[in-house]
Amino acid sequence: MKLPTLRMPRWIRQIGWRTVAGAVLLAGIVHISATLAVPLLGPGNAFRKLRETLPVNQMVFLPPPTPGNQLLPFVAADALYAACRFDVSATGVTVSALLADPGWTLSLHTPQGDNFYVMPAQQLRRSEVTFVIVPGGDKLVDFGASARRPTGDETQVDSPVAEGLVLVRAPLRGLSWRAETEAKLRRASCAPVSQRR
Amino acid sequence: MNLVGSFLINVAAFVALAIGGGVGTAWYMVESGSRFSTRTLGPWVTWTTAGRPEADPYTRAHTSRNALLPIASTLELTYVATTDSNGGRLHSACEYAIVMEDTEIAWWGLAAFDGRGGLIQNAAERYAFNSETVMREPDGHVVITLARDARAGNWLPIGGGSRVTLVMTVQDAAWAAASMVNGAPKPLPEIQRVACR
Repeated sequence: MKLPTLRMPRWIRQIGWRTVAGAVLLAGIVHISATLAVPLLGPGNAFRKLRETLPVNQMVFLPPPTPGNQLLPFVAADALYAACRFDVSATGVTVSALLADPGWTLSLHTPQGDNFYVMPAQQLRRSEVTFVIVPGGDKLVDFGASARRPTGDETQVDSPVAEGLVLVRAPLRGLSWRAETEAKLRRASCAPVSQRR
Repeated sequence: MNLVGSFLINVAAFVALAIGGGVGTAWYMVESGSRFSTRTLGPWVTWTTAGRPEADPYTRAHTSRNALLPIASTLELTYVATTDSNGGRLHSACEYAIVMEDTEIAWWGLAAFDGRGGLIQNAAERYAFNSETVMREPDGHVVITLARDARAGNWLPIGGGSRVTLVMTVQDAAWAAASMVNGAPKPLPEIQRVACR
């Protein structure tokens, strides 16, 4: 029994195999380039969106997200947030926060969104957290000569980038706890390492 | 003329395949993910290396393009659902029951957004529940009702005639590290469609 042959349109039959093979090869290159380019060239990463709102090395209590007034998409509205845009190119930055209840987190992010350090609230652990962000790896050699280096008794966190974000998330336990949660969150701070000590 | 026509067809096919295929597949992998970068549990999808500095290029591009600031997935996992447990698209014209068994997760939160990550306007100003604010049934399980009009219990209002995206955040290092819980897949909530208008 002879099977019916599939008749393709004439213009498709004119496409040569070399064209298809070359196109597939170039498609792979375009695919890889486009994927790698998004974090570098994409218009809307979180750091770029928050950059104008946040002064350098200063903790800012962000307005609670409401419909039509969200700094970032997919941010839960049952939490309060504080953020700091740190810059350790000249000096270390001291970060301090109270992680009062389950769900509270203090996280450090690169401009591309990588989370290179996180501290969650945990039971049976001190809820007050203080550390100094310093340039990581061999960048420490270039640490400003005039700036005071962090002392040995301070907890240091190496940053892979000179500039990034500190984010403190404080989930609300209910509306009646809102003022208390806000007061605790406002204790979070972010400041350049003091040169006089 | 025939040669010129064939040449033009080959050029058009080359460009369409190379650019369309490269950009199209990159867009799909960055927006929807694949088994390479995501894990699917029922209607819930999580990007397995989100937030980590060693995240794969698709996860990094997804994070950047959507302006997300994920906590490292070694501590916190974020699950996104755009369909119910039967595969139907979540829509504000429908009512859903989200049923969660009693778990020992340290902290979790569940929030509803529109299709673009915006909070859904509602008079009750309620946008999310978390493990501290949700009401539990006597046996410990949780039922959250997603509906346009008020419902008894844990009512999460949706409206506005748009698609709905659910985001569940689980903060528990043991949960994040385990691929199974008590020998079974991780018990994520079921999303049952109750009715549609």
